[in-house]
Amino acid sequence: MQEATFLILTALAGGSQHGYGIITDVEQISDGRVRLRAGTLYTALERLTADRLIGVDREEIVDNRLRRYYRLTRPGEERLSEEAVRLRSNANAAIARLDRIGGVATA
Amino acid sequence: MTNSADLERRYRRLLTFYPKAFRDQHEQEVLSVLMAGAVDGQRRPRAAESADLLRNAILAHLHHMKLHPSWDYRHAVRRSLAIEAKHPRRSMLLRVGAGVWLLTLTAILYGYGVGDWWGLLLVPSAALHFYLAYRLRHTVQR
Repeated sequence: MQEATFLILTALAGGSQHGYGIITDVEQISDGRVRLRAGTLYTALERLTADRLIGVDREEIVDNRLRRYYRLTRPGEERLSEEAVRLRSNANAAIARLDRIGGVATA
Repeated sequence: MTNSADLERRYRRLLTFYPKAFRDQHEQEVLSVLMAGAVDGQRRPRAAESADLLRNAILAHLHHMKLHPSWDYRHAVRRSLAIEAKHPRRSMLLRVGAGVWLLTLTAILYGYGVGDWWGLLLVPSAALHFYLAYRLRHTVQR
């Protein structure tokens, strides 16, 4: 799973959000490292919707503009949890080995 | 106010590169996101933003092709050749131009010492362009 996809799913795990909300949330989650651009975001949202990992929660009109809120689906939750566990296990392995050579950053 | 109207018009123009199905579904939303991300007084899309939209427009086209199993590349090739045959003069110039450009690119890449594999790809594509231009020659003379 690409990092952008992982971060989008993580953002939606905190509750349903619209496009710009996802962008700001992803920026926060990643400590400002990842700022999604609109094109990339909607390519990802479309793909995730087609894979049924996310769905449309509701639509609102704000300032004459459509806002569509997306939410994580059950399969999306499962997929994200699998990925999170996998990343944690990889990170743990890396930290354990770095510990042995005394070169791990304190976390 | 006029600045943001200008900006929105330019964003809309970039979005026309997306497949129609995508626009029907997401145009309003993407515009909201783009406008929300704009700074005060901004009149033009930033270059990186435009590049991102164009790149993803191509991906969206690929995605929509995959969603329609009836899509057939042979049909698409035939149709684009038919369009070329309708505008032979312009298409021929375009083909020759593309061929020359590809050969120039090949020469540059060889110059930098990275041409080997690129040459394998670029020279045949240039040849294909020249061949298609040659085929159009008859239509132009007629």
